[in-house]
Amino acid sequence: MSRVETEVLIIGGGIGGAAIARELSRYTADATLVEKGADVGQGITKYSSTIMCQGANVLEFRSEYHNSRLVWAGMPLMEPLCRELDVPFKRIGSLELVENQAGMRHPEKMMRRFKDWHGKYLPSDIEPLQFIDRDTLRAWEPNVDKKYIGAVYDPNIAVNDPVRLTIALVDNAKKNGINVLLETEVLDIKAGTDGFEVWTNNGSIACRYIINAAGEYVGKIAQMVDADDFAMYPVKSYQAVLDKKVGGLINRMVLATGSGMVSPTIHGNLFFGISPGSQRLGKAHDHSTDKKLADTALRHAQELVPAVSAADIINSFVGFIVFRNFEIGWHECTVGVSRWVPRFINASIGFPGICAAPGVAKEMIDILTRQGLRLAENPRFDPYEKAMPDFSDLSDEEKKELIARDPRYGHVVCRCETVTEGEIVEAIRRGARTLDGVKFRCRPGMGRCQGGFCGPRVTRILARELGISEEEVTKKGGESRNLLYKGKELLEAHQ
Amino acid sequence: MKLHDVDVAVIGAGPAGMAAAIRAREAGAEKVVLMERAEELGGLLHQCVHNGFGLLYFNEDLTGPEYGHRFIEKALDTGVTPLLETMVVRLGEDRQIGAVNTKEGFITFRPKSIVLAMGCRERSRGALNIPGTRPAGVLTAGTAQRYVNVEGFVPGKKVVILGSGDIGMIMARRLTLEGARVEAVVEILPYIGGLIRNEVQCLHDFDIPLFLNHTVTQIHGEERVEAVTVAQVNGNRQPVAGTQRTIACDTLLLSVGLIPENELSIMAGVRLDPVTGGARVDETRQTNIPGVFAGGNVLHVHDLVDNVSWESEMAGESAARFALEGKQKESGKIVVRAGRNIRYVVPQTISGRRDTTLYMRVNEPEETVRIKVGDIMTKGVRAVKPSEMLKIELSAEKLGKLREGTKEITVDCEKRGGK
Repeated sequence: MSRVETEVLIIGGGIGGAAIARELSRYTADATLVEKGADVGQGITKYSSTIMCQGANVLEFRSEYHNSRLVWAGMPLMEPLCRELDVPFKRIGSLELVENQAGMRHPEKMMRRFKDWHGKYLPSDIEPLQFIDRDTLRAWEPNVDKKYIGAVYDPNIAVNDPVRLTIALVDNAKKNGINVLLETEVLDIKAGTDGFEVWTNNGSIACRYIINAAGEYVGKIAQMVDADDFAMYPVKSYQAVLDKKVGGLINRMVLATGSGMVSPTIHGNLFFGISPGSQRLGKAHDHSTDKKLADTALRHAQELVPAVSAADIINSFVGFIVFRNFEIGWHECTVGVSRWVPRFINASIGFPGICAAPGVAKEMIDILTRQGLRLAENPRFDPYEKAMPDFSDLSDEEKKELIARDPRYGHVVCRCETVTEGEIVEAIRRGARTLDGVKFRCRPGMGRCQGGFCGPRVTRILARELGISEEEVTKKGGESRNLLYKGKELLEAHQ
Repeated sequence: MKLHDVDVAVIGAGPAGMAAAIRAREAGAEKVVLMERAEELGGLLHQCVHNGFGLLYFNEDLTGPEYGHRFIEKALDTGVTPLLETMVVRLGEDRQIGAVNTKEGFITFRPKSIVLAMGCRERSRGALNIPGTRPAGVLTAGTAQRYVNVEGFVPGKKVVILGSGDIGMIMARRLTLEGARVEAVVEILPYIGGLIRNEVQCLHDFDIPLFLNHTVTQIHGEERVEAVTVAQVNGNRQPVAGTQRTIACDTLLLSVGLIPENELSIMAGVRLDPVTGGARVDETRQTNIPGVFAGGNVLHVHDLVDNVSWESEMAGESAARFALEGKQKESGKIVVRAGRNIRYVVPQTISGRRDTTLYMRVNEPEETVRIKVGDIMTKGVRAVKPSEMLKIELSAEKLGKLREGTKEITVDCEKRGGK
């Protein structure tokens, strides 16, 4: 068992912890990030809708809410951040549909308030909302239901890949000097007079500051030092991803008040879902989808875009977040020093966490400084990351060049997403240790056959590259091995 | 490899592709290229180590690999050119093929004709939208078959199988022989999805419980599958309240249907039949794109490999003729419609001028029926089931009875006797 000493300990490798770690790496901070999973970005981050920059909806995002202010602060930072880290980011815009004249009151109020707040609470580089009429709506989105008479167009709305962003943030933080420990679960914390003693499954950590960015488990971590001066309510929703063959049904995210949403993804699929917090959880950490939510979401999606069909669903999952206050819902968040424990800072962003993360990270530097942490600029800070090659996205000439340089790029392993052995090996070189780790870095298994074809092949490559047996390969670390026994092993056990 | 003078390119070297390529050579095509993404010819036959292959085609009971090897040897003997470890990633409307491999990199060429023989894939958990958590240990029966028979691993020791397709039932037996315990095979329909012989030989002979009218309503377990909830369903396939029970298991196998793999076909502008999921073809197996033919499971999912081979030979022969003549003399004009209790008929169009075999499936099981093709022929059948493909042979002579100018004929499955 080892003992680590660090000035700042970040608990949790989701988007929040990752953004904070990367922000801290701009300074000569002695910081460590611990993540209990085998990879980063595999908690709430993975369940994100991938939609971001929603803050122009001023009926939902309001100046009195802390998380709205964080989202507004984060919105202008998101695109440059993705560019620095070479992570895909695409502004698609959204259309909030209006069904009838009575429904016009809502967009009118929203647009009026936007005008009032623009440049005041909302940074002026947030693009203004526009109202588009029925004809424009038809022309832009011919597959949206004909009953809608217009829509509020929000040009700020974007999609990206939150898991890839998290991975890139952590890779960049590491490069700039932050210590990252995976499969390290915090089991207990003791607060001393000028620091904390933290016990993990991998030994203990002594630190002066703790940033509790444990996402779903933020309450559990806070309880360890009696810093849970807030209540947490896990809630879930439902999202489904559709085959790329129907990816072109709509070009922008479409939604309607009190209903669901349908949107393109950054990777060319379509997905639909219902609002976060559609269902309060009966028990904590329940990540299961259920049929009722799934049916409701599909019905809502079909109301918006009638051509959405259950037959095109290739995967579905929960949307999962933590509310601070179930009545207020996602508008409340917990970013700040614990009222009772100095230097213990909770960073539970809630919804929409991905977009708020850069704002939270900036704010965290202020909080840490106010708490006495001295930070000097890191002279060797390098903000850039380079994405790994995406074979399917290359031109014929680029494909030829890449294969000539490394023939493993000529071996297609995942047929649905056209992922090559070269990419899988590169993903492993960059830190993927599990099937999900490979999948979230370069997409084998994310297509329509969901790994039926490539699963055995990726397993074999992982085993070969990591120097382990195929049985030891896991889906997502822990006990998630895919192959439990060698051939004939069970028969020998019977004898 | 020089590819500028290819007569016939066959995409996929499973049973369909091999049969098509061999027949194309036999029919006179000079250069026939058989493109395969794996490192050897044979496709999924290598992982089908059970018997029951070739009963019709060879009059022998062979295993999958044995059946495959007869075709592999014949392909090499007849001078088919294999192009292995090569993945076709693009197919243009002008028959331009784009493919990648490790040796030549990115290659493009335009053969005189093409046979689509990409086979099919299994429906996944996502497509079924089974509620629950997302642990390891949920996999399709065919993937499990590969792990057990090719890779040498057993996914788990307490297994529930959802769906009673042939691969699922075969894997129930295979896993039992490997020392695993198959707790249940669960089928949502009132009848099995695969062949009767597999129900008898794979389930009954090994005392594996089969639950018809049941489905899996929830998957449990965070890291690895821990249990599934199973419930009875009503006539609308909806779970009946109060019938749920939880079965502890570490593995859930899915055998819930196969989907023809037509992404390349769509790229090439091939028009698909929404019922079969495969191309619409005439009796020569030509699609709507001249010079592009299809055969085997890429066209419609078969239950016997023997029929895959026969059908693909037709496609291979037609492709060779097209390559030699530069065009097709006559193509199907008469539309074949699926009538009462017929789910689909392949080919979808016929010329009516040559001997033609209609392949079809019914919607519902029925006993004592007759299959009626327009008013030119009827054939009595004792029992029909959706899982068992029907073949109706029509001679050119019979087809000659069609009135001049006939635009379509309908195939019906009618009740006979007593009424």
